Amino acid sequence: MAEYRTHMKIIGDILSTTRDDLQDEDGASVTYLIRKANISHSRISAILKTLVSQGLLEKVDNQGSNKYKISQPGREFLQAYNTFTNFADNFGLSI
Amino acid sequence: MEFLLENILNLVGFLVGLAIGIMSYVGFRNTGSPTLFRLTIAFFSISIGFFVIWSGYMVEDFVTKSGTIERWIQTLGIAIQTVGYFFIAFSHSIKSFFPKSSYFRSVGIIPLFLVSSVQLEHIFRSVSFILLVYGAIETMLSYLENRNKGAISVSVGLGLLALGEFLGWYSFVFPDSILYPASMIIKIGGLIALFIPVSKVPLTKIKFDEDFE
Repeated sequence: MAEYRTHMKIIGDILSTTRDDLQDEDGASVTYLIRKANISHSRISAILKTLVSQGLLEKVDNQGSNKYKISQPGREFLQAYNTFTNFADNFGLSI
Repeated sequence: MEFLLENILNLVGFLVGLAIGIMSYVGFRNTGSPTLFRLTIAFFSISIGFFVIWSGYMVEDFVTKSGTIERWIQTLGIAIQTVGYFFIAFSHSIKSFFPKSSYFRSVGIIPLFLVSSVQLEHIFRSVSFILLVYGAIETMLSYLENRNKGAISVSVGLGLLALGEFLGWYSFVFPDSILYPASMIIKIGGLIALFIPVSKVPLTKIKFDEDFE
């Protein structure tokens, strides 16, 4: 059975991919993120828009296609996310 | 002896609840997670509940000197703690157990208006017991899924708090027995077990983010 992922977990997966698993130095394309984060195009578009507006991701225009890189606030958020995921795990909960 | 144990229990409860509450709040401010928000409410409620009872004992000891804590203060403190235990259980999806019918919901409130404050205390204790047992079982089940060792400690902690609540409630039947002091010692053990895994969470590099919504 597929594991249920919370909205927060999906954001964590997207940010982790843009930090640890980039295609190249320019960033990750939407298609690559869809595959890595295992999420539909319509859903990831809304999430990417939010993450860029919050300053957690940087949108890079690369020869007509958009790529995404994690920003410094994004790295800090991801660190906090990982810490508090562990904290919530102790209570048997997902953040 | 009982007075000393009460003070230790309530102070430990206040401090443990406050520490976990603050940690949850920092987590909520940094991630915006609703789970961490519920944990914040839960542990601040538990902390306030213990503080209210501790204040009641202090007022009795230094001001009224009546030899016993005001009953309504004890009931109030236990009620606030019950709210905290509810939010822990609620985080484990306890909402699925709510009565679906509005008739049952309305009738469910009536007993609260029909009983004296002494009986209310026992109602709150028994509700706390159920919520704590539920939380302990759910946390243990999550350990079986994720194998996170911290979950064992939290589960044991909630289980000991439940046992303490049960013995505290049952001591009503045998008022001068060892049951009540035993319940307090067990609850202190439960609070310590609850705090052990949380104290290991590294917070050194987490900064409190003012701007994140």
